[in-house]
Amino acid sequence: MIAQRHILGTFDEALSSLRNNVLMMAGLTERTFDRAIKGLLERDDDLCANAIADDEEIDQLEKLVDKEGVDLLLRFQPVASDLRRVVAAMKLSPNIERVGDQATTVARRARKLNRHPALTETELIEPLYALGMSMFKDAIDAYVKEDVPLAMAIIPRDEELDEMNATVQRQLIERMAQDPDQLRGYLNLIFIARCMERVGDHATNIAEDAVYAAAAEDIRHQPFAETS
Amino acid sequence: MVSLIEEMPDTLAQHQPEPVQQIAESVGPASEVAPMIDIANVDFVYGSHQVLHNVTLPVPARAVTAFIGPSGCGKTTLLRCINRMNDLIDNARISGGSIHLDGVDINASNVDVVDLRRRVGMVFQKSNPFPKSIYDNISYGLRLAGITKRARVDEAVEKSLRAAALWDEVKDRLDANAFGLSGGQQQRLCIARALAVEPEVILMDEPCSALDPIATAKVEELIHQLKADYTIVIVTHNMQQAGRCSDHTAFFYLGRLIEFGPTGLIFSNPRERKTEDYITGRFG
Repeated sequence: MIAQRHILGTFDEALSSLRNNVLMMAGLTERTFDRAIKGLLERDDDLCANAIADDEEIDQLEKLVDKEGVDLLLRFQPVASDLRRVVAAMKLSPNIERVGDQATTVARRARKLNRHPALTETELIEPLYALGMSMFKDAIDAYVKEDVPLAMAIIPRDEELDEMNATVQRQLIERMAQDPDQLRGYLNLIFIARCMERVGDHATNIAEDAVYAAAAEDIRHQPFAETS
Repeated sequence: MVSLIEEMPDTLAQHQPEPVQQIAESVGPASEVAPMIDIANVDFVYGSHQVLHNVTLPVPARAVTAFIGPSGCGKTTLLRCINRMNDLIDNARISGGSIHLDGVDINASNVDVVDLRRRVGMVFQKSNPFPKSIYDNISYGLRLAGITKRARVDEAVEKSLRAAALWDEVKDRLDANAFGLSGGQQQRLCIARALAVEPEVILMDEPCSALDPIATAKVEELIHQLKADYTIVIVTHNMQQAGRCSDHTAFFYLGRLIEFGPTGLIFSNPRERKTEDYITGRFG
C-alpha cells in the first residue's frame, strides 16, 4: 500500500484521484444494484427508475478513469507498484461498469415483472444477489487493501454462484412447464438470475486484477487448483 | 455515499501487501553464464572515506547492465573501477575485494593499465572530442597502439564511424574539426573513438545527460546495436533510459548494492523496498 508519499506531490494526487474514482464507481454500482433488487423484491418502479438513471453516472466515471489512467501514464511514466495500480484501475473500471449494466438489466426486467401479479419464485433471486454482491464488494475491498488472500478467496466462490444459478434456472424452467401462463415472468427471472451470475464473473475479474496490482502475479486462466 | 467508500481510508493506511511468491533473488547472478566482469566483495575508499561497501556484481557479457541510484551512491566510482580510472585520483583505492575481467584480476601488478583501458573503453557524461579533425579523433587511439598504415587506419575509422551510426553524417567532412559537430554527433564520435581500438567492454557514464531527445534516441539505438558485440555498462539517472536500454539493472544506495536483476523485473516488481521507493520516486 502507499506507505510513503512520492516526492512529486502531483503524482500522488493523480494516483489518489484515479483510485477514488474507481471507488466512486464501485460505490455507485453497489447502490444501483441495491436499488434494482429492492425494486424487484418490493415491486417499486421508482427504485427501478433510479437504478436505470444511475447507470449514466457510472458510465461517465468509467470514461474518466480511462482518461486519468492514460494521462497518468503519459505524464508520470509510473513503474513497479505504481504502474500496476494504474493498469489495474484501468482494467477494473470496465468490469465495474458491466456490473452497473447488469443492475440496469435487473431494473428493466423488474419493471416488466411489476406489471403483473407477483411471482413467489422472485425470492430465488435474493440468495444469488447476496452471494454475487458480496463477491463484488470483497473484490473491491481486496483491490483497495491490496489483500491477496481475500482476492484469491473470491475465485472458488464463483463456482458456488454458478451452481446456485444453474439450480435456480432449472427450478424456473420447471415452473415454466407447469405454469405456461406466467412464461414471460419466469423468463424475466431467468435473465435476472443470469445477471447475478455475470456479477460473479466480473467480481472474479476484479479479484484477479487486485492480485496483479498487489503482488505482480497474473492468476487469470489458471486451473482452480493452482489459484487456491 | 455507500459503506464501501466510507470504509476505505482506514484500510488504506495500514495494509502491507504480501507477494504471492518471490520471483527472484534480490542480489544474485543475472545469468548462469560466467560473467564478463566479475566484481567480488569490492570496498572502495577515498582516503579514509569508504564509498563502496562489499559490492558483488557479475556483469554479463554482450548485454547492457545499468547502474542506477541517487547521487553519491557510488555507481560512477564502481564504473571507474572497471578500467581503473580511479588510479588517477590521489588516495582513492580499492581497499577490499577484486574485479576480474574475463578471468583476469585487473588490479594485479602485472596488468598493463593502458592495455586495460583499450579493452575497457569509456564514454563520459559530456562529449570530449579532441580538438582535431573527425578522422584524427578516431585514428588517435589506433596510432597510439602502433597502427600507422593508412589503408588500415582508413578502414578502422570507417568501421568505427559506421558502428557508431555516424558515418553517413560525416563521411564527406572527415577532415573537419570535431567541434563543428552537434552535441549528439560529438557523443557518437566519442563512442566511435572508443570502438576504434576494438574494446571488449564499453563503460558509459550518463552518456545522454547533455543530449536532446533525438540525439538521446540515436545513442540508445546505438547501445542496442552495440550490445551484440560488446559488454556495456551504463550509469544513468534516467529511469526510463535504464528501462529501455538495459538487460540488467543494479540499484545502489549509500555505497551498497541493494538489488541486481533483470531490468524488466526491477522495474515491474522489485524485491527490495528501497529499490521500489527509488524507482517510483518516493525516496526521502
